[in-house]
Amino acid sequence: MAPLYGFVWRLLLALLQLQRTLLLWLRSRLWRRATAALLMPLALGFHDHGRPGKRPGRRAGAPDKLPAHVGLLVADEEPRYPDVAALVVWCAAAGVSYVSVYDGQGSFRRNPSRLMEQILQQQRELLGPEAPRFSVELLSGGAERQERGGEGPSCSGTGTGLSCQTAVKVLCPGDGKLGIVEAARQLCRAVERREGTPEDVDVAALDSLLRESKNVPDPDLVLKFGSVQSTVGFLPWHIRLTEIISLPSHVDVSYEDFLAALQRYAACEQRVGK
Amino acid sequence: MSWIREGELNLIERISANILKAGPMPKHVAFIMDGNRRYARKRHVERQEGHSQGFEKLAETLRWCLNLDIHEVTVYAFSIENFKRSKEEVDGLMELAKQKFVRLLEEKENLEKHGVCIRVLGDMSLLPLDLQEIIAQAVVATRAHNKCFLNVCFAYTSRHEIANAVKEMAWGVQQGLIKSSDVSDELLSQCLYSRNSPNPDLLIRTSGEVRLSDFLLWQTSYSCLVFQSVLWPEYSFWNLCEAILQYQLSYRSLEKARGLHRESQSRQQLEADCLCVTELLQHRGNGKPVDAQGRQEALRKYTASREERVQDFLNVLQSKRDLFYTNLCSQAAVA
Repeated sequence: MAPLYGFVWRLLLALLQLQRTLLLWLRSRLWRRATAALLMPLALGFHDHGRPGKRPGRRAGAPDKLPAHVGLLVADEEPRYPDVAALVVWCAAAGVSYVSVYDGQGSFRRNPSRLMEQILQQQRELLGPEAPRFSVELLSGGAERQERGGEGPSCSGTGTGLSCQTAVKVLCPGDGKLGIVEAARQLCRAVERREGTPEDVDVAALDSLLRESKNVPDPDLVLKFGSVQSTVGFLPWHIRLTEIISLPSHVDVSYEDFLAALQRYAACEQRVGK
Repeated sequence: MSWIREGELNLIERISANILKAGPMPKHVAFIMDGNRRYARKRHVERQEGHSQGFEKLAETLRWCLNLDIHEVTVYAFSIENFKRSKEEVDGLMELAKQKFVRLLEEKENLEKHGVCIRVLGDMSLLPLDLQEIIAQAVVATRAHNKCFLNVCFAYTSRHEIANAVKEMAWGVQQGLIKSSDVSDELLSQCLYSRNSPNPDLLIRTSGEVRLSDFLLWQTSYSCLVFQSVLWPEYSFWNLCEAILQYQLSYRSLEKARGLHRESQSRQQLEADCLCVTELLQHRGNGKPVDAQGRQEALRKYTASREERVQDFLNVLQSKRDLFYTNLCSQAAVA
């Protein structure tokens, strides 16, 4: 019987994979980026006078509860810079204050300038030349710090002295668990030097150490792209209450999909234990 | 209502189970059993009834897991945040837990027959003393069993767990058992409440919520996350099969991601060791240069001594925890 079961299992998995590919193909055929470009101007009236995290006005079906910090997580796909850049620009246009870009292999981190370039280009294409710009700040994580021997984060500003509304952080797996380990080591070193005691260690102490280096709120929403259902090492400490919304692929992702995800986020109700 | 349900799957379920088992199966599954209260509201029954039904579903799910050769299950029973609920509900949940653990002690033989080891993960000191004592008895009574494992997260949040692990390490440093440079990804994992279990392969959350709610954040970094919209008391065998299929579809990518993570873990460990050795040699050699072979030898020695130091520390930690439970048990015996 065992070979038969094995055969049926293979068949089942192949069918599921086929269905997934088919859906993806259909989606990318039907919703080309062109649709997004058409709809963008409609949805964009709100970026200029919005406080970060709060968006006045209600256009193009944009939701009323907005995440202040969105994580864009490319799980198992080969990262495509133009698509990720478009997502960043959409987030910024919707009034999101912080965007974290992450992929499991850390390729964005290795190539941040390319991402920057793409973001600028998408900004020009999607928002037009007069639209306000936002700054892109690259956060240096644990692994990076070690490699560079304590050098501070590299920052590259954009625009021409306009107000920064959205900060983009590029993260890699080294920022996740390794960040927690770094913080733990720091606390232990203090104990070693008799500057602290084990009793000083609690959630608040760790949180402030992990926050100090990042200086951003915890992500409210993570958009995970790709077929693998996992956060693949994305900031374990910070995703305590993060809503994780899964989209099949970031390749040719459409503005509708992005809006739908924001709307789904707005519908989520946080009870925090109660 | 008992913890272990006897009974077999029906024919169709058995065939489906066998088909699933032809692929890679998760060895450890974690559940966030959400939706008991919504179920009670939907069915117009008391909230407490919803929680009881939820427990019954757990017993049923454990049997399915055994039928599917899943030998380790972790469940989120009660979060530290849940203490914020109304006193009436918290008291009700504590009472339910007490009943269930008493029941578990009565079923000792059955647990022995199946080799079930019960572990409770969480900050026990937050619980009423009588509940602590009963939990300790259950843990001590089953701790030698090794066929299947049920981890109950009670008075648990993941951040609390991680902070507690760091506290334990800081204690080790204070006692001179380890050095601060020994702190690593691996050591932190070994200091968590879940030190004796492998990371879950699959995490299932019911009732349609799509967040982790401070559950096993560290352990599920590379696990397959499945969010299902069914309410927990209505969970079925087929829901479990669907989740396992999701895991099987993600299996290869997950293995790859885990491999990458393991690689970077050992690279970091090596780097840390090299750094310590360099410091040591500078200290000892009065600035004299050391040849490559001498360095290699020093590195090998240092790594061995670090591993031994860390292992000793972990043994101390384990006996500290064992002693905590044994003391609670003897307290209960005196009372």
